[in-house]
Parts: sequence; structure tokens; C-alpha cells
Amino acid sequence: MVEAQNLSMKYEKDKSLALENLTFSIDRGEFVFFVGSSGAGKSTLMKLIIREEKPNGGVLKVFGRDVARLPKHRLPFLRRNIGMVFQDFRLMEDRSVYENVAFAMTVIGSSRREIRRRVPHVLGLVGLKDKARAKVTDLSGGEQQRVGLARAIANRPAMIIADEPTGNLDPGTALDIMNLLRSINLRGTTVLVATHNRDIVDQFKKRVLYLDGGRLVGDEQKGIYTHVH
Amino acid sequence: MFINGLIYILGETFKGLYRNRWMCITSTGVVVVTLLMLGLFMLVNLNLNHITETVKEEVEIVVYIDEEADRETREELRRKLTEHREVASMEYVSSEEHMERLKRQLGGMLEGYDTALDNPLLSTYEITTVEPETVVRLANEFEQYAGVSDVFYGQGYVEDLFTVTRVIQIIGLALMAGLSVTAVFLISHTIKLTVMMRKREITIMKYVGATNWFIRWPFILEGLFMGFIGAAIPLLMIYYIYELAIEWVIANDLMFLSLLPAEWIITELAKYLVPLGTALGILGSSFSLGRFLRV
Repeated sequence: MVEAQNLSMKYEKDKSLALENLTFSIDRGEFVFFVGSSGAGKSTLMKLIIREEKPNGGVLKVFGRDVARLPKHRLPFLRRNIGMVFQDFRLMEDRSVYENVAFAMTVIGSSRREIRRRVPHVLGLVGLKDKARAKVTDLSGGEQQRVGLARAIANRPAMIIADEPTGNLDPGTALDIMNLLRSINLRGTTVLVATHNRDIVDQFKKRVLYLDGGRLVGDEQKGIYTHVH
Repeated sequence: MFINGLIYILGETFKGLYRNRWMCITSTGVVVVTLLMLGLFMLVNLNLNHITETVKEEVEIVVYIDEEADRETREELRRKLTEHREVASMEYVSSEEHMERLKRQLGGMLEGYDTALDNPLLSTYEITTVEPETVVRLANEFEQYAGVSDVFYGQGYVEDLFTVTRVIQIIGLALMAGLSVTAVFLISHTIKLTVMMRKREITIMKYVGATNWFIRWPFILEGLFMGFIGAAIPLLMIYYIYELAIEWVIANDLMFLSLLPAEWIITELAKYLVPLGTALGILGSSFSLGRFLRV
């Protein structure tokens, strides 16, 4: 599903490499944590997977296609297969919970009928069925992240990428969100999570890829944050 | 699927216009001023061209026949003029006919003169040429013919008219260019403001896989709408101004200024102003979008 070979990335303004010679492979249905301190390259890797940035060296294949060679007009179709979850939720604050989720479907051209059927379903999956009409600004942080999750899965993506999804949440709420991601993963969706959250990584015992200074320094199945560290 | 997208795009277009209504009104105002100026210049130009064409058609060479020329010389002159390739038509006007015309023009002022005995007017040939541009050369040529006393032509007026038209065209184009740049600049800023306000939304759209065109359409339609309204208003204004001008010409007996009909003029102006207005709008919005679509 994601395959990196000697993947390197350097931002124009920086002198050092943001990612250096990364080689790894992620299969369909896996749940993978990317861990490492700030500046380790986790977010850069996420950006490369959704082709927000282009790698400078090596090859990165997503869904079997070399993303660097993907023509610009094909990018939206790559992204329709990837659901994004952000630390700051990135919701439209002037709209309701329902509208935020429906928006993701509208912009890729889903029919109104499909939206009416699908949105309540995904809101039910994240436990927000009763808050469909609420404004997102009236929700707690955890609830807002649930909206973010609902939006990410609305278009039935094959993969979810979550960049520090629990960064702005208290431990209890963070665990709820991670459990939701786990249940999404159990339904067959590949889940990649970039995180600092040691407790969650240790508790979940999933595959962990550890990044340090742009290099991959550890890759453990059923890994524990402290082990790879 | 298509209808849902269309509803979304149209909804976003009008939301954008409403949110930035004051900037939209300003930008549309600049387009109105730009196109009003252009429209007025075109209006003057079209009419000047029309008048010039009319005058050009009426340009003729008047060959005055020397009254002392003998019958043979006169006959030779008539033959040479008639057979000349570049002469389109020719009419002989006798001195008596000239006197009759003069009497008609002056009304009763020549009452009491014995014009039959004391007629100073010369007989003429009134000639129109195949090509109006050859008038000067032919007039000079005819002047050399035996039996010709003098030659008159009205070419000077036409040249003056051409110069005026050209000057108006150049001033108009320069003004237009300046105003067009201002309009594009202002529209681009208005749209940029809308884009900035919706930056988060655009980023989300990019992340969930909206195509660039789906994101662009509302902004392009905003620009197009501003440009279109910016073209429609000056057209209406010009129509009423022109109607007033025609009424004024009629009221002041200036019918020799043969003006073009208002409906024809407006149709002609619309052919240029509407596409130009919408193009200015689209151009303005396109300038402001590029950077924001690079997610």
C-alpha cells in the first residue's frame, strides 16, 4: 500500500535533509505508528504520501503508483483514497457537524442521496449521531476530532493518515479517538498515525516506525515507544 | 452528481459575492467606468467613421468649364472625362442650372436681378470617382485639360475628419489600457480577499480530493459575474445617453450629422463590451487563485 525505497527529501530553505534514505513497506490493512521527536520527519513523510510535497530522491509508491511521477490532475484521485486527520482538526467553524462531513462528499461530486445516506452512518460510527446539527465550535476538542474522523472516512478511503490526532486532547479523550481509529482499522482500512503520545503507542502494541533526524532508526511489529527509543 | 456540484458552485459564488459586497461593488464600479469610457469612445468613433464614410461617398470633383473655350474644345473635354476609367459618374450642370440652385439656396435674395442676362456662374461637370482616394490626383489631372477653368474638390475636409478620428482612437486606446489594468488589479484583489477568507475551506477541499477546477469555479464565476454586470451597466447608460444625443440633434435641426441608430450601436457595443467585461473578471480572478491551489 505504501512502499518507500531510499526515500529522501530536502526542503529548499533547509540545509539538512528532512528525510534520508528511508526504506519501508506498509501492507493493506496495517495499523502503523510513526514516532519521533519534533523535526524527526514524521509530518514530512505524511506530506509525501499525500503528495503535498515531492521527494528529492528515492521512490515512494502509494497504492502501487510512484507519487513523484503522478501528474497533477491525478492528485485529487489519489487523495480521495486517503482520509486525513489533523492535530488542529481543520473543520469549517461556520458550519454544522453534518455540513462538515457532507462537504467532503460534495466536493468529490457525490450525489445528494448518497450524502443523505452516508453522513448519518459515519456520524453514528464516531458516536455523534445526535450532534449532527450542532455547530462544530460548540463541541469539545474530542468531539471535534470525531467530526474530523467522520469526515476522513466519509468517502470510504483505503487509508487514513492521522498527523498527531491526539496532540490537542486530554489522555482520556485521546484514547477514545485512538480506539475509533482502531475500529476503523478493523474494518480493513489501513491506518498511519504520526504521534508523540508514548502511552498510546505502548498501549496499542502495533507496528512502530521510529524516525530520528529524518532517518528510520527502528521498525518493530507490536512495538513499544520506549523500546525503539 | 453534476447537479449537486453545480448547486454547490453557484451557492459558493453568491456567498462570496455577498461576503465581500463592498469590494465587489468597488471592483464592478471600476469595470463600469472602464467600459463606459471605452463604450463612449467607440460610440464617437463609430459615428465619426459613419460620417466620414458618408462624406467620402459624397466627395466629388467639380470641373468648371472655361466659358471662352470653343465648341470643339468643350466636346473634346466631355469625351476625355466620359471615357476616363477612374470616373464613376459625371453630370453636366449648365450655368443656368447653377443659377437656379443658387436661387433656391438664397431664397428671395436674388429677386429683381435679371439673372438670364447677367449670370457669372460657369457651367460644370460634377464627377464622382471610382475610388474616393483618387480624388486629389484626378483633380490635378483634370486641371491640365484644355477647356478647364478651375477644379474644386472637398478632400481637405475628409482628411481633417480622418485625423480627428485617429487622435480620438489613440487617446481612447491609451485610456482604456490603463483602466483595464486597474480593473483587473481590483478584481484580482477582491477575489484574493474571498480566497483568503476561504483558505481553510480550500485546503480541506484539496485534502479530500476536490479537483482544482471544482475549487476554481466559484471564484471564476464571481469574477465573471462582476465583469458581466460591469459591462451591462455602461451599455444601459450609453443607450440612454445616446438616445438623448439623438433627440438633441433632431431638436436642433442638426440632421446633417447623420447618426447611427441607437439599437444598432448598442448591439455593436455589446459585442465588444460584454466579452471584454467578462474577460476582465475572469482574468482578475485567475490571477488571485494560482498560489492558493498549490496544496
